[in-house]
Amino acid sequence: MYVLITIVGLLVTLFFLAGFWRGLQNAIAEYRSGAPEPTDVPDYGYGSLAAVSVIASAVIIAGVGFSPAMIYAGPLLALVTAAGCGLAFFVEQTRA
Amino acid sequence: MDKSIFAAMPSLTPTLGFASMIGLGLFSLALSYAVKTLLVRNTHDFIIADRRVGFGFGVGSVIAVWTWAMAVMMSSAMTYQWGLSGLFWFVVPNGFAVMAMIPFARILRKNMPEGYTISEFIEYRFSRSKVATAIVTVTMIFGIILEILINLKGTSVVVSTVFGIDWKVATVVGIICVLVYSYFGGLWTSVMTGTLNTLMITVPAAIVVAAVYAVIPGGSEAVFKAAGAADARNLSVLRPDAAAGFGITLAFGLLAATVSDQTFWQKVWAIKSRDVGRVFLWSGALFYPIPICLGMLGLVGIAYGLKPADFGGDIVAVGPYIVSHIGLGLTLVLLYVLVILAACYSTIDGASAALSSVVAVDIVKRYFPQTSESSLFVITKLSVLLGGIIATLIVLSGLDFTTLVLTTYALKTSILLPLVLSILWPKTNMVGFVGGIALAIAVGMPIYATAGELIGTLSILAISGLTVVIAGLIGGKDFDLAGLRRIGDEVSAPAE
Repeated sequence: MYVLITIVGLLVTLFFLAGFWRGLQNAIAEYRSGAPEPTDVPDYGYGSLAAVSVIASAVIIAGVGFSPAMIYAGPLLALVTAAGCGLAFFVEQTRA
Repeated sequence: MDKSIFAAMPSLTPTLGFASMIGLGLFSLALSYAVKTLLVRNTHDFIIADRRVGFGFGVGSVIAVWTWAMAVMMSSAMTYQWGLSGLFWFVVPNGFAVMAMIPFARILRKNMPEGYTISEFIEYRFSRSKVATAIVTVTMIFGIILEILINLKGTSVVVSTVFGIDWKVATVVGIICVLVYSYFGGLWTSVMTGTLNTLMITVPAAIVVAAVYAVIPGGSEAVFKAAGAADARNLSVLRPDAAAGFGITLAFGLLAATVSDQTFWQKVWAIKSRDVGRVFLWSGALFYPIPICLGMLGLVGIAYGLKPADFGGDIVAVGPYIVSHIGLGLTLVLLYVLVILAACYSTIDGASAALSSVVAVDIVKRYFPQTSESSLFVITKLSVLLGGIIATLIVLSGLDFTTLVLTTYALKTSILLPLVLSILWPKTNMVGFVGGIALAIAVGMPIYATAGELIGTLSILAISGLTVVIAGLIGGKDFDLAGLRRIGDEVSAPAE
């Protein structure tokens, strides 16, 4: 599991850095363009998605008490966090 | 399980410790200088990043500022102390507190699009009431200073423990590393270094925790069995004593820590308006795995029957002790130190950026409105240094933080419901807002001191909330939040 997590961790790092580079380029391009940013705020409440993530975290922690394999859920999900941050750069809308 | 496996590593020298701290600082400084050159021309850019922080940087930076150095260690410590119930009560409210910002962030960003600080909102919400505004401003400043000094203290303890560096020297070196790079780029620097720090927290944490289990004979199964054998309650999330002991109090404290914290409000007004809601959703959800991952170190401590005396008496040190004594390679131990340093630096630079917005908008622009843009820019940048210096002096003085912690806790918890109601409930008025906070401190804090944390916290919340509601019902007037859209930008970017 250690080897797997290390390899996946390296791949996730590359994905994250690619996203970071994209985000940096977007930020600089938008700043230079000087185009005004819209001020509209979407009406999505995200309540149900937030509830799902809260429940999921509780279930995962509880799951550790039922199976030793679940101990590795934490490290694996930490990689999901890094991948999620990288993904956020790729799904963001840009105006530049 | 035989705890003779734990032994000190002679290769962890002070030189390595300094190299780790200064290396991360220099890396951040280089990035900060590039950010300053490319993205920061004036106070507006420095404190609000021209309101152009995108989704990616928003998510990465919110996770980074919420991942305190102490939180990295506390997740292991709470698991060690209470088993999985400790981890449950530490983790679940933590991510929820970030997502709880969503409704408030959406409402204020929509109705006050040119805002900078939560104190500025209160100023306009309550007809420029100096008392209400001053209370919120002071609370924000106290909270920011506390964030800086707690992270500084936590990190200096870890660095001194692992590398044998004098903790006072570690404190000074640490704060210099952060302040030097924070000074240059303001919020943009904080956002970008924070995002990179999220990477430096998550991937190394996953690798180090997996490595710890890899060196344990029998791995996760052995730890699972030994933790259960030590006490079956260690593997349950349903221990009522954990909830009563710290869980419920912590849950409310965490809510106050986000909703009553300018570090988060600054980001509400800096992130692109269309992304505000989903940034806090993703950040809260993606934060969860970090403490869950590091909490697994606490189970190792239980399984091996470690006693607090084994690692200096403070259970917060259980994670660092396990990683630095269980026989990992030097690289892995340094990776773990990097996790803590990244958490520390990102929280301190986020707090420093928040302080700069408070100083610029809530102090200089409010009390000295004629200040020129060039002077404001200099003062704003100097405020970053000032906050760090004050926090460092408090840490170095060796003073007990208890008074500052309690004062900040009292202010933040007392302000929570009045602040929430001032955003959500149009009938909230100035008398209720100020009266609720004052009564909560005057009556609630003595209850807190005598009846304990749980009853005290619930009392503070009940007193502050009820006072606002009663005053609002008696006052009867509705405030038109949409009227705040007319408010202009207090620190608008000067014309080119």
